[in-house]
Amino acid sequence: MDNSLAASVAHLTKTYGTGDGIVTALDDVSVGIRRGEFTAIMGPSGSGKSTLMHIMAGLDAPTSGQAWIGDTEITGLNDKELTLLRRRKAGFIFQSFNLVPTLDVKANILLPFDLDNRAPDPHEMRRIQDLVDQLGLGRRLAHRPHELSGGQQQRVAIARALAAAPELIFADEPTGNLDSRTGREVLRILRESSAAGQSIAMVTHDPIAASYADRVLYLGDGRIVADKPRQTAEQISAHMLRTEQEAAA
Amino acid sequence: MTFLRERGMGASILVAALSSAFGITLLAITAYIGFLSTSAFGDSGSVSIMLLVVSTVFIGIALYVGAIVTSNTFATIVAGRTRQIALMRLIGSTASAERRRVATQGLVVGAIGSAAGAILATAIAFGGSAVAGRLLGAPPYEDPVAAWMFVPVIVVILTTWLAAWTGSRRVLTVTPSEALGGSVARSREELARGRGKFAAAIVMGLLGILLLIGGVVAGLVTPLGLFIAFPGGILSFTAIVMAAPLIMPPVLRLVGRLFGGSTTARMAATNALRYPERSSRMAIGVVVGVTLVVMFGVASQTFVSVTLTGTGEEVADATGIQELLDVLSRVMMALVGFSAVIAGVGLVNLLTIGVVQRRTELGLLRALGLTTGQIRRMVMLEALHITLASTLLGLVLGVAYGWAGAQSLGGSGYGYRGLIVAPAVPWEPVVVIVAAMALLTLIASVAPTRLATRISPVEALAAE
Repeated sequence: MDNSLAASVAHLTKTYGTGDGIVTALDDVSVGIRRGEFTAIMGPSGSGKSTLMHIMAGLDAPTSGQAWIGDTEITGLNDKELTLLRRRKAGFIFQSFNLVPTLDVKANILLPFDLDNRAPDPHEMRRIQDLVDQLGLGRRLAHRPHELSGGQQQRVAIARALAAAPELIFADEPTGNLDSRTGREVLRILRESSAAGQSIAMVTHDPIAASYADRVLYLGDGRIVADKPRQTAEQISAHMLRTEQEAAA
Repeated sequence: MTFLRERGMGASILVAALSSAFGITLLAITAYIGFLSTSAFGDSGSVSIMLLVVSTVFIGIALYVGAIVTSNTFATIVAGRTRQIALMRLIGSTASAERRRVATQGLVVGAIGSAAGAILATAIAFGGSAVAGRLLGAPPYEDPVAAWMFVPVIVVILTTWLAAWTGSRRVLTVTPSEALGGSVARSREELARGRGKFAAAIVMGLLGILLLIGGVVAGLVTPLGLFIAFPGGILSFTAIVMAAPLIMPPVLRLVGRLFGGSTTARMAATNALRYPERSSRMAIGVVVGVTLVVMFGVASQTFVSVTLTGTGEEVADATGIQELLDVLSRVMMALVGFSAVIAGVGLVNLLTIGVVQRRTELGLLRALGLTTGQIRRMVMLEALHITLASTLLGLVLGVAYGWAGAQSLGGSGYGYRGLIVAPAVPWEPVVVIVAAMALLTLIASVAPTRLATRISPVEALAAE
């Protein structure tokens, strides 16, 4: 196992249904997410990008192939082992924020620790304090999610994902429900934390969001069709448009 | 009729069936006892009339608890159907037409359940009177069921209809725009609109308490004190049931604190308070059952105790009273206990729908690393939260009412004046209640737990 990878998959295939109705979501995908990088997984709807993320995060099982988080192979683990793995090694940011509505901001941020039945150690406590200051949540700690704006809720979700410094953070269209200014802010926060060493994999179909990443993986029809270093939004849009035109031709 | 497959409908049918079966069976038993006493003592019907009055009270309690459960169920169903109702409104349906539709479903559910209950009760009446006749060697009983015994069928249909109508109030607040847009923040169920709504309940409650105190004081002089305390008890207890959304949340909050500070415990504790009105009404159904059972037990035990203190040596006489009272209070407890069963159905339903409507949230927690074991514990705690709060409140109220009843009747003793004894709490009903509540907690958490642990995070998070 390559020590520079936060997660990787090898010969991953995922199919749904059987017989004539069979749908191939992922078709022999092999790729690694490099440690400390901000990786964007781009592709149109139905390209398999969400399925890839779900399998990498241990939320779904592949039909065949292998997947690792860090140096732990996750394919073949049972539900309990996968749950503990997600708890300790993965962080999640979702399109619709997904905070627990009955818990206040502080409890939402500390949720990964609480689920693990432990309190943050002093080092982690300092990191959480820094995150709260940096994300401007200091005066919101006692608020409930419904009292916050969308941007603030997403920042709480980011704090929750970053709090335990997991092996890898999975972000699923994190800007999808935000206005463009708030969205850019969220992307800047993600890029900064990746610059500070946090590995992040972000699934998106928004070229502007992908332009914040260090690396862009393009998916199409269940395969990786391109793997590029940082690109501008124009380059990404052009690439998407080109594949779309090729598919139509 | 596809709506019958919707979650919650089955429970509403069950509640209607239980209520009507209970009503008819009780009336049939009343008629049979009347028949026995007529054939044995040539009684002209005064026993029958008295029994009929008592039965009507218990049927009333069961129907009332059933109506609370059904109304709650429909309120919960409507909350989960917001999107669909909004879509109908968007297309051009009026709010009142949508509400009528929900109420009509209540009518259908009530009719199906009530009819099923009637069939069951008829079977019980025929079988029961035949068996009892043989055991007692009583003369042949011609008509175990008569047309008038089926009055509960109609009443249950009407109360279910009415309950669906009251429960569907929220339909009126659904706006067509709720059908649009990605994730509309789920609007909170309308909270109690200030204390004004409960003004009547508060006045009734205070008046009831005054009468209770008056009854106990009068009871020190005359057994007629009971006639002052009795209406006081009815008034104050009705007030408590009416003001449930005001009274239950603090109790729930208090009990929730017992669960400790872990996140799963805190989440379980706050879930009951997420829709305070819904949980309060559901809990009050259980409170009614526990209170009445405890009340009958404490009343008879305390009455015996006050009589023993009064009579001193005439213990033999008191033992006779005790035996009679024991039988009476057991029968009462069993009859009231049936309402508690209906309340139990409501609790199971509340928890199950609660889990269904929290799919995304539970999926999120699974993604973040909540194990199925932790989910199981959380759902169990949620059930325990409501049963524990209801049991505690019911015990306190039952002891208070039972004591007041015994004191107002027996406080004057046999010629002795001004006897006040501490409430005597018989351990038997308390043990039964605690065991029944533990069982209810377990049963109530089985179905929702199975649902909750099956939620796959991918599915739940995708279905936004």
